[in-house]
Amino acid sequence: MTAAFRAGPRPARRPDVLRRLAGASLPYQLLTFTVFAAGWELYARGWGGLLIPTFTETVAATVELLGSAELWRAMYVSNQALVLGFGIAVVVGVPAGIVLGRFRLLERFADVYLNILLVTPMAAIIPLLMMSVGFGLASRVILVTIFSIVMVVVNSRTGVRQVDPSLIEMARSFGASERQIWTRVLLPGALPAIMTGIRLGVGRAVTGMVIVELLMVSTALGGLILEYRGLFKAPLLYGTIVIILAEALLLISVARWGERRLTRWAQTTTARNAR
Amino acid sequence: MGSDDYGKERALIEIRGLGKSFVGQDNETVEALRDVNLDVGENEFLTVLGPSGCGKTTLLKTIAGLIPWNDGDIRIDGTPVRGPGPDRSMVFQNFALLPWATVLDNVAFGLRMRGVGRAEREERARSLIAMVGLSGFETKRPGELSGGMQQRVGLARALAMRPRVLLMDEPFGAVDEQTRRLLQEELLSIWEEHRMTVVFITHSMEEAVLLGDRVVLMSARPGRISEIVPVPLERPRSSDVGALERSGQYVEITAYLWDRLRDMHEEHRPSKVAG
Repeated sequence: MTAAFRAGPRPARRPDVLRRLAGASLPYQLLTFTVFAAGWELYARGWGGLLIPTFTETVAATVELLGSAELWRAMYVSNQALVLGFGIAVVVGVPAGIVLGRFRLLERFADVYLNILLVTPMAAIIPLLMMSVGFGLASRVILVTIFSIVMVVVNSRTGVRQVDPSLIEMARSFGASERQIWTRVLLPGALPAIMTGIRLGVGRAVTGMVIVELLMVSTALGGLILEYRGLFKAPLLYGTIVIILAEALLLISVARWGERRLTRWAQTTTARNAR
Repeated sequence: MGSDDYGKERALIEIRGLGKSFVGQDNETVEALRDVNLDVGENEFLTVLGPSGCGKTTLLKTIAGLIPWNDGDIRIDGTPVRGPGPDRSMVFQNFALLPWATVLDNVAFGLRMRGVGRAEREERARSLIAMVGLSGFETKRPGELSGGMQQRVGLARALAMRPRVLLMDEPFGAVDEQTRRLLQEELLSIWEEHRMTVVFITHSMEEAVLLGDRVVLMSARPGRISEIVPVPLERPRSSDVGALERSGQYVEITAYLWDRLRDMHEEHRPSKVAG
């Protein structure tokens, strides 16, 4: 045992599997999930009754749902609104945010509306939308857009504003045209923040997609939720929610992956600054 | 002292009656430059020295064509300055590198803005990268480089344009002392080999004397040229900087500059009675 207290150089340690596991976040997530699932199972068995299914029942119902045509039809219909609505949010929101970030005067006009979009409880708009646009795909698309566009606009605006002014001056000194300043300096510089806005926007878009179906038009996934609730089919109700959560998580992970890939430089810079 | 005692070579940069003022934060007019007259010879190395707020950076940016001025006239080889041009390129105090671009793309940036084709600009960029001693770092990004290496990239980017005038705005002010000395020696040896006109802003007396053919001393509020001090030290200087710094002439000029700078600081100390 004296070896442990020996002075002088020590042999390099082999990479320790346990230590590497402790460094990753997945084991912790698995651990909390196991505790959560066990707690759920115990509670539902003891005091659950008709309305709260057990964890195992929920898993079984989820698997059952994944095999049913009804769910996939609902997914298809719901995601139409998500894809269109979020697509519009990105296509409109990114340029809008960039322009607002570059031209301060415009921002004075737009600021109040952005704040309204940020703080308004969106559910309150739904009756207005129904009255003016109707119950079709259009109002679901609009609601998804309204839900998600704020995140995209605000983050794109911040991104443009964060671009170091000395980079713009540098580009001008090398004869860059206004267009080159946009394409070679402002847009690449704002990209990390734009990607963050897209990731945050995806989460809000999924929320919007479900809320509009719950409150306004009971179709698709929202319709399924309402139907299973009405029929007291608690496991299927929970299973539907699990599937929606899974989709949201998947979309956000994809967005985060894209963010990391496209903006590796920004992460090395922040890591350096944090040190 | 006049500004035309540099009669050895003809003037490439002619500045006549230059005045520049802007509105400051409290709505007061700040006179950044007043009646600046200066001739810079072809292939001369001119250093500009002065206390902070003396307008030396403003002077450099007007020559670069980056900011407009109120009175007077700047000509490069007889042509009035109307904006940035390919005959001048600039090295920035904070490096102003694009953090998302590789060393190669950063060095080639100016060439790209000027419409040089990909093959040619990369070839030129690579040879400049070799000249500043960064071969092997072509694919690294600025975040992975030390401050000294980043400024080598900034220098290579400027030299890649093959400018007639190199404008340097306290380029070594943001790096540590040892790196600064290495960069100074390298700049000297590059300049001795590829002669060009250099206007070099600094707040270091030693740097001004070590590098310059003449030192322009500026005073603050309003920013104007107070004196132009010739530096008759022998060239090439890069071979033995240490011996140069121990020479009587070097010590004498540096001491003289410090005397003058101290007078300027005292003038602006309200409590001190003159004489």
